Amino acid sequence: MVLLGKIALGFGACVLTAGAYTFRQGVVRVDVDENRGNGSHVHVWAPAAIVPMAMHFVPKREMLRAADHSAEFMPVVHAIAKELQKYPEAEFVEVYDGSEHVQVRTHGGSLLVDVDGPDEHVHVKCPLATIDDVAEQLAAYAPGA
Amino acid sequence: MKAMTSRSRRFYPVLAFLSASFLFSPLGLQAQASTSQSSTSAHGDRWLHVRVISTDAKGDTVRVNVPLELAEKVLPAINHDQMRNGKVRLGNVECDGVDVRALLDAVRTSKDGEFVTVQKRDADINVAKREGYLLVHVKDKDRPRAQQVEVKVPMKVVEALLSGDKDELDIVAALHALANQGDMELVSVKDEENTIRVWVDSKSVSD
Repeated sequence: MVLLGKIALGFGACVLTAGAYTFRQGVVRVDVDENRGNGSHVHVWAPAAIVPMAMHFVPKREMLRAADHSAEFMPVVHAIAKELQKYPEAEFVEVYDGSEHVQVRTHGGSLLVDVDGPDEHVHVKCPLATIDDVAEQLAAYAPGA
Repeated sequence: MKAMTSRSRRFYPVLAFLSASFLFSPLGLQAQASTSQSSTSAHGDRWLHVRVISTDAKGDTVRVNVPLELAEKVLPAINHDQMRNGKVRLGNVECDGVDVRALLDAVRTSKDGEFVTVQKRDADINVAKREGYLLVHVKDKDRPRAQQVEVKVPMKVVEALLSGDKDELDIVAALHALANQGDMELVSVKDEENTIRVWVDSKSVSD
């Protein structure tokens, strides 16, 4: 009975630690809703912690190819993500264009891009630390790195 | 064994407290951040704001807020075409036959005064250097609602812009110089369609 209790406690502690780690890293969220008939609705929610981890399982050949394609702008992405972390709550761009509203801002350490139009709504949320991690990992595979 | 379980039981509240505080620490931090957040930048950052407001019925609006420090750090990472390490290489690039660098250098080295005054039937143009500022004023009179352009650039920014090599403009140095200036309006354009403002202050939001 005591042994079972210990196992349960250990399992609980693991779940709690994993949950806390995931919670701290935040969530990558992509929501796309098309209002027209037969419009697609895409909702992806994933723990941001798994993104850098998942990149370790991507075949090296694919990483090299991705790094080659993104070599020119990845240092810029890395610099932006790194600097934006200093502004966890800020609004950078807001455009009202008649019926369309575009907003780029940071909130709670995540980058948020919201596009609301008459035909579709797109909401993207990604922790800045995750963008920085991905950019850093891709930069490591870049030619000449 | 019983003693051990009772001893470990005593630690349960401590464990639970530590787990809960670790688990919810981001929430606490966020709450603190949101309460301390205001329109004024927390660590004295300087922000460049651009606002375009259309006067038509739809009221189209563009608001851009950029921390100057962020721009200073990001621009050197952009190496594309004429842009290298935060500097724009002019080479033989001229704007409608005007050598921009030579023009700015001439303004920098000259004394205060009016350099250009054009008064035409349809427009008034005035370029002057006064009290450490480069001032450009254009008034287009050939429209139902006259277009007015006002540009005010600190000479220290112009000097920083020219601080690089002979054939380049140092954008990062200019932004750094701009960050050291007080709150000011750099560009104002008003016409029948739009109102455009570019200014620098310590607020993270434009309104």
